[in-house]
Amino acid sequence: MSALATALAEVSETADRLSRLSVRAHENPYTLVDWPSSVDPERDWFGTPEYVSLHGTPVWEGLDDTARRRVAFHEAAGFYSLNIHGEKALIQGLAARLYRSDLAGAAGYLHHFLDEENKHSVYFGGFCTRYARVYRSRQVSFGTDQARDVDDLLFFAKTLIFEEIVDHYNRVQGRDGRLHPLARFINDSHHREEARHLVFGRRLVTALWQAAGFDPATAAGIRADLGRFLTATWREYYHPDVYADAGLADPWDLAEAAWHAPAQRTHRRHVSADCLRFLAAADVLTEEPADAF
Amino acid sequence: MRSDTEIRAQLRTFVRRHAGDVTDDTPLFTLRLLRSVHLPELIILLERLRGAPIDVEQLRMGDFDGIDAMMARFGSLP
Repeated sequence: MSALATALAEVSETADRLSRLSVRAHENPYTLVDWPSSVDPERDWFGTPEYVSLHGTPVWEGLDDTARRRVAFHEAAGFYSLNIHGEKALIQGLAARLYRSDLAGAAGYLHHFLDEENKHSVYFGGFCTRYARVYRSRQVSFGTDQARDVDDLLFFAKTLIFEEIVDHYNRVQGRDGRLHPLARFINDSHHREEARHLVFGRRLVTALWQAAGFDPATAAGIRADLGRFLTATWREYYHPDVYADAGLADPWDLAEAAWHAPAQRTHRRHVSADCLRFLAAADVLTEEPADAF
Repeated sequence: MRSDTEIRAQLRTFVRRHAGDVTDDTPLFTLRLLRSVHLPELIILLERLRGAPIDVEQLRMGDFDGIDAMMARFGSLP
C-alpha cells in the first residue's frame, strides 16, 4: 500500500465531512456571476493596493491614484492567471490519482476537489478573457522519475503551499470594501471553497509525511524542493508582463527591484507565516526558505 | 539586451549558487543539479538578461541542460 493510500484512509472522516459540505455548497459558475459588459481599470480598484507587488517601492510612491488602480487591475488579472495555471497543475495531479488502483476507495473527495478547482478557473478565466488576458506562467515541469511516495508528497505539499498563499490574498481582497464588487466576489468565492481544500490539504500532508517515513537523504531532498517551490511561487507574483501592460517602463528590471524591496520581503514573510508554521509543526520543513524573503 | 559575455557570467553566478561548482557543459537537469522548481527564477533571469520574453510553452529539458545549452538557446536573439 502506498503512503498516500494510508494517509487518505487516515483522513477519511475529514474527507467525508468535507464532501458533505461540498454537496451543500455546490455552485453553478455559469449562472452565478452577472458579468459587466466592461470595467474601468482606472476608476475602480480590482486588487487591494497594499497587496500590489510594487507597494512600498519607490515606483509605487511615484504613481498617482489612477496609475495605481491601473497597475492593481493588471495585477488582479495576473493573480487570476497564476490561479488558472496553479489549478491546471492541480487538476492534472488530481486526475492522475483519481481511481489509481490503490486509491479507488478515496475517489469521493477527489471528485469534489477536481470539480471545485475547475469551477474556480471558470471565474478566473472569465475575468481574464473578458477584460484583460491570461498571463503566462513560468512554472514548467519536465517530469520526474522519483519514487511514487515522493511524487505524491511533493504534489500535495506544493498544492498546499500554493493554496495557502493564494487564500491569504483571497481572504483580504474578498473583504476589501474598496474593491469592485466583481473582484470581491471572485476572491470571496474562491476563499470559501479553498477553506475546505486547506483543511484537507493540511490533514493529508501531515498524515502522508508520517506514513511515508522518508529516510534522511530523501527527506532533505523533499525539503529543498519545497523551499525552492515557495520561492518560485512568490517569484510569479512579480510579473514583468503585468507591469508592461500597466504602462510601466523596464518591466524585468522593475520585477527584480520589487522582488528585493524591503517592504516586499516583509510582505512575503507575513503572508507565508501561517503556511510555514504549519509545515514546521508537521516536520515537513525544518528551516525557513531563506531565498523567498 | 546584455552581451553574450554578460549573460554567461550571470548565468554562471545563478547556476553555481544553486548547483555548486560546475562547468559550462555540465548537464544540470540530467544530473538533477537543477530541477523544475528552479525554472521560474531561471526563466525570468534569462528574459531580463536578453530583454525579451521566452515562449514557455515551447521549452524542453535540453534547453536548460547546461550553461552552454542555455546560451545556445537563449543567448542571442534571432
